[in-house]
Amino acid sequence: MATESEGEEDAATAAGKLTGIPQLSVEDDLREMANKAAWSVSSCKPGNGVLSLRDDNLDTYWQSDGAQPHLVNIQFQKKVKLQLLVLYVDFKLDESYTPSKISIRAGDGFHNLKEIKTVELVKPVGWVHISLSGTDPRETFIHTFMLQLAVLSNHLNGRDTHIRQIKVYGPRPNPVPRQPFHFTSPEFITYSCLR
Amino acid sequence: MRNYVYSVLWEVRVITSVTSLLLASNSSTLSESSSHKISIGDEDRSIQSSRVLGLNDSSPKQPSKNMHSNSIKEISNTHVVMAAGQAANSGSSNLSLYNTPSPVASQQSGIAPPPLCRNGFFNAVSCDGSSKPAANAAILAPRRKAMEEGRLRKVSGRLFSDSGPRRSTRLSGEATAGINSNASQAGGGTGTNHSSSSRFLGGFSSSSSKTSSAAFRTMTGRKGPSCISESFDEGRKTEVFGDSCGEDASATMSSVAIFVDCRYLEEDKINLHAGGLSVHDSKLINGIRELLGLLRTLGEGYRFSCMHRSQEALEVYQKLSQNQYNTGWVLSQVGKAHFEMVDYFEAARFFDLSRRVSPYSLEGMDIYSTILYHLKEEMKLSYLAQELISIDRLAPQAWCAMGNCYSLQKDHETALKNFQRAVHLDSRFAYAHTLSGHEYVALEDFENGIKCYQRALQVDERHYNSWYGLGVIYLRQEKFQFAEHHFRRAFFINPRSSVLMCYLGMSLHSLRRNEEALEMIEKAILADPKNPLPLYQKANILLSLERYDEALMNLDQLKECAPQETSVYAMMGKIYKKLNMHEKAMFYFGLALDLKPPATDVAIIKSAMEKLYLPDEMGDSL
Repeated sequence: MATESEGEEDAATAAGKLTGIPQLSVEDDLREMANKAAWSVSSCKPGNGVLSLRDDNLDTYWQSDGAQPHLVNIQFQKKVKLQLLVLYVDFKLDESYTPSKISIRAGDGFHNLKEIKTVELVKPVGWVHISLSGTDPRETFIHTFMLQLAVLSNHLNGRDTHIRQIKVYGPRPNPVPRQPFHFTSPEFITYSCLR
Repeated sequence: MRNYVYSVLWEVRVITSVTSLLLASNSSTLSESSSHKISIGDEDRSIQSSRVLGLNDSSPKQPSKNMHSNSIKEISNTHVVMAAGQAANSGSSNLSLYNTPSPVASQQSGIAPPPLCRNGFFNAVSCDGSSKPAANAAILAPRRKAMEEGRLRKVSGRLFSDSGPRRSTRLSGEATAGINSNASQAGGGTGTNHSSSSRFLGGFSSSSSKTSSAAFRTMTGRKGPSCISESFDEGRKTEVFGDSCGEDASATMSSVAIFVDCRYLEEDKINLHAGGLSVHDSKLINGIRELLGLLRTLGEGYRFSCMHRSQEALEVYQKLSQNQYNTGWVLSQVGKAHFEMVDYFEAARFFDLSRRVSPYSLEGMDIYSTILYHLKEEMKLSYLAQELISIDRLAPQAWCAMGNCYSLQKDHETALKNFQRAVHLDSRFAYAHTLSGHEYVALEDFENGIKCYQRALQVDERHYNSWYGLGVIYLRQEKFQFAEHHFRRAFFINPRSSVLMCYLGMSLHSLRRNEEALEMIEKAILADPKNPLPLYQKANILLSLERYDEALMNLDQLKECAPQETSVYAMMGKIYKKLNMHEKAMFYFGLALDLKPPATDVAIIKSAMEKLYLPDEMGDSL
């Protein structure tokens, strides 16, 4: 059983499909950005609203209540640089409620959203990391006012969806303001600020 | 300004305890209470320990000549002075160990320097030894612990026989003290010393106080006693006094101390009629003179360090004898002076020594934790934080250290919580406000950051770190005029910090006042050759002025002293790109990438490399 699922996972990652990992692991130079963003969803069951997405509790979840696609909208107060989207889903608990195909869109507002990525999840359990950067080095980050996550379809043809957590990461700003580059060596960092 | 007052009070306290000691060691026919025996015993112990330390340590010192000019006995007396201060010092911080669950004494704030002065404060405000039993008990607890260390065998027998009943009085005292125990214990802690000193003084006042008090009188100086006594009556609002005294507080400082001493002498004369001591007046006067000289040196050093003239402060502290220099308080002051000159390695060394000498002193430990933060000594920092918490979990310094520890691990939310806790414990502790401000800035919550910095400045207007923090926020928000103003304020308060100069230069550069900026940066380079940042900023400014060759020269220099620094190579690549030397540009961009800069820089550098052969376009993006 175990070997079977492992083989499955390997095949899935090879095909560019995503499964989850149990631990949230994010690089040190990224930080969570969406604390001050406005979050909204296309629909929700009472008691399983948008707050469940952000409560840092993996036992609660957002459940949609309507026709697909189910949308999560994240609107920022200013234009931000984003690099990584992480969501927690659990196929073992949610079964047919688990999303399988997700589209990510970005833009200035609802009127000009553009799809930047589509990913497919295969029986995911845990944190699913979706990188937002493109292939060109200039596209490491997306520079945007708004991010939309659309659940296009679920596993086993389920209608409504469950997502337990969503986190959005962007690069940390340079601790020293108005510098073209970050300081990296201990010699520089020691003297780079007062406290 | 408050600092001055506190130091004054501290001196007062030291003087009273010291005078008692002088007399104690000179007289043999004293009818002492058992509590006296204990206190003397303890001070004996600290003499020993301070001597041991003096021998063991090898830091550079210049023993002053006049210190040793007198007889050996008196020198030993002066040792007793600081040692006694030390004992009381560590005593009061020890205290909380025994009382931890209830909020008790020794909540020292960073502005209010040594624990002594807080005691001295209480002493000055309510100067009667009425709470004597509680006081004995309070002091006894740490002393007993000290005894267990087995340093002292001479008096131990007597001591231990005494300690039983006294412990019970302590407990009962605690039970009755209730919420007010903070004040009463702190006051009580000094109460012992004060009452003991008054007894001694009473003995000696009959014979010699006239001469010595007259001598004191002459030194009282121009500041009228009325002003001083008023300021003492004002209690906590003593800043007023500090302000009125202005910058030349040093002269008045010593005079205040002496004046208060005189007052004690007079009181004693009236109140106590204890009998005849045979004391050699001349010896005594010599001792006192020597002692005052010592206090003068300490006060002078402390004044300089309060004025952030760190170099002068260091020079003054150098004048102290080896034994005085190797006390926890002086070492931590020296560490602080180095910290303000941004010499973190030296500062860490001195704080380390200071911790070894007096491990239970919390004074300056917030600064020490910040130094370790700057040096990225995660392990030492978390150890320090844990230790401080176990010493006194109600001290703001301990929570500042804890917060710094979390901040170093980039867990800014938790760090902020810890700093807020420090603020709750003592809202007059300016540094905790500032550190909270830094955390808000790290979380990009500038509004709250500004509020925190402003609160810190309300507590202590001369807290330059807060001025600096505000400057950084405004620099980030591109309000360059504001930024320049705030950096300048910080720079006026602490003119020795090369980092502040550098930031001031940066803000001037942002205002396009490049000549002034270069001037300031040059100053920074001269002020601290170890700091590579000003050189880098200079190159940055020269680059914007299109003086590429000079910029490259500076960067070459930097490359030698910090070969691991990405930004230097990236900037060199950028300059070679401007000079159309593509191969060299590519070489340096490659070097920069090899050193694994953060993702943002990788993106910038890679796109610069791609566009290397396309003219002009990258000028804007880079």
